[in-house]
Amino acid sequence: MQLAVLILEDERPVREALARDLGHFGGHVRIEVAEDVPDAWAVIDELDRDGDRLALVLADHRLPGTSGVDFLVLLLDDPRTVHTRKVLVTGQADQQDTIRAVNDAGLDRYIPKPWNPDELRSVVRDQLTDHVIEHRLDPLPHLQALDAARVMPLLRTRGDR
Amino acid sequence: MPTDVHHPRSTLPRPTHLQLAGLVVGLIAFLVPLLVDIPGLEPAGQRMLAIFLLAIVLWVTEAVPLVATAMLVILLEVLMISDQALVALPEDVLAASDYFAALADPVIVLFLGGFLIADGAAKFDLDRNLAAVMLRPFAGNARRSVLGLMLITAMLSMFVSNTATTATMFAVVIPILAVLPAGPARTGLALAIPVAANVGGIGTPVGSPPNAIALGALEARGEGVSFLGWMLLAVPLMVVVLLFAWWLLTRRYIAPDTPMALDLSSSFDRSPAAIVFYVVAGATVLLWLTEPLHGISSSTVGFVPVVALLATQVMGGDDIKALQWPVLWLVAGGIALGAGIGATGLDTWLLGLVAWEALPLTLLVLLLVAVGLGLSTVISNSATANLLVPLSLSLATGLPIDATAIGVIVALACALAMALPISTPPNAVAYATGEVDTRAMATNGLLVGGFGAVLLATVLPRVWDRLGLL
Repeated sequence: MQLAVLILEDERPVREALARDLGHFGGHVRIEVAEDVPDAWAVIDELDRDGDRLALVLADHRLPGTSGVDFLVLLLDDPRTVHTRKVLVTGQADQQDTIRAVNDAGLDRYIPKPWNPDELRSVVRDQLTDHVIEHRLDPLPHLQALDAARVMPLLRTRGDR
Repeated sequence: MPTDVHHPRSTLPRPTHLQLAGLVVGLIAFLVPLLVDIPGLEPAGQRMLAIFLLAIVLWVTEAVPLVATAMLVILLEVLMISDQALVALPEDVLAASDYFAALADPVIVLFLGGFLIADGAAKFDLDRNLAAVMLRPFAGNARRSVLGLMLITAMLSMFVSNTATTATMFAVVIPILAVLPAGPARTGLALAIPVAANVGGIGTPVGSPPNAIALGALEARGEGVSFLGWMLLAVPLMVVVLLFAWWLLTRRYIAPDTPMALDLSSSFDRSPAAIVFYVVAGATVLLWLTEPLHGISSSTVGFVPVVALLATQVMGGDDIKALQWPVLWLVAGGIALGAGIGATGLDTWLLGLVAWEALPLTLLVLLLVAVGLGLSTVISNSATANLLVPLSLSLATGLPIDATAIGVIVALACALAMALPISTPPNAVAYATGEVDTRAMATNGLLVGGFGAVLLATVLPRVWDRLGLL
């Protein structure tokens, strides 16, 4: 089982820049991209088929069709994504949208555009770590994508074998 | 808001090819001794052979979880070779309660105390603080720092599980790794922790499960070893192997001028609960070490912190739930297996298959150590001890060597296996950090483990003899 990060962003250059900035997570987590919400659900179906786990979504708000915030709210209704951590990466969410994202979608982080690549990586690492700790997942297969010092306590309960 | 709660779908893990093969081969191995008449083996022995072969296959392939196999052993013994056997046996057999008793064997009680103390040390952050304080004299030079880290890891690992020790010490080491330039120094440091944790586990009876398995089997034969007695037998090897590993790793990977800043800050929890815990833990360890003075067995002493920590509410129901019950039950399965093998006469029959007494004793011990080391490199250390300890102890009856020596040697051999990421959980953690590749782990693991194994098989029995420890 791999952990997956989904980048939902309609503008191709921005999408590619986000994926590039997360490049060195590749090999340790699965990075997927989607250009709109139907595309995002297709990715979620594919992850499910492969037995992988969507740990984190980085979503833009203003998208053609369904908005990013509406998508984040919908994630809570699907058993495959109810535990997915949610980050908005946007410059265009107004106060109403932001309030809805926090209150109804359980938004975990808000990254304003333009983002700082180091900060983006550190948010992703933190969110993945929180996800692993919260659900007591085995951290070892994903350790290099996580804050290793923070997940060490999870290993204590394992016992020798 | 919708009120229905989503349950994430819990799917069963899909069995691997190896696991499927394990189930099939296990079933065949189980049926053959029941269907084929085996000359020289009583019916009870034949049934026990079926259980033993099944246990070997299941523990090697992990077709079902290790602890499930352990529980299966107990169940099958009750159903097949006890007074409650479904098909009664003509000969005298153990009562079903004797097999169930493995779950509360004195060694399990000893471990219960050890686990509760170890978990308390984590709860009050005592392990990390002790590590910081003890590291102080080693600060300054990189190679000396690594020596300090390894000694402290080993000392913690004598009382805390090897895995938990590794987790604690990696939390200390990860910030150091993060600032070291990529390269050999990181590899050396990331290897030092698991090696020291694996080796440290041999130091006391509560250090790792194979010790408990050997101790339990020895006690069942009336040849128990005291806590201090075990330490006298094992600590010399532990120290020598540790120093060798330090020498090897620092010479190969760590230049003396490597910058290595250790976090030496400590802040001991001074809450009343923490202080009660320190007193209880300290008193328990003291009582373990002074058994010759007061004569209270280590298992009984191990039960004291269980009562004291629960009565003072320093630890409670949640802490009991969080104990590593699968490890305790895996050990219990091994104890029950040994009991069954002894009670049915299977041991005598198995040993009769080979003319062991024709082999030179040293060669025989070397063989045992090699089998223990080899098997536990690829399968669980505890499972190896579960399979090997009962056999080796019965082997000792016909030979001019002390059963205690054999039991301890087999347990220590299992602990020296550290050549692969899968050999031990500490190795798996080090490998997962990405700082150590399989090749580096294999080379150093074979060198350290091999060095230890040769000492264990050739030098250590003579040292014990010379010092009159047996």
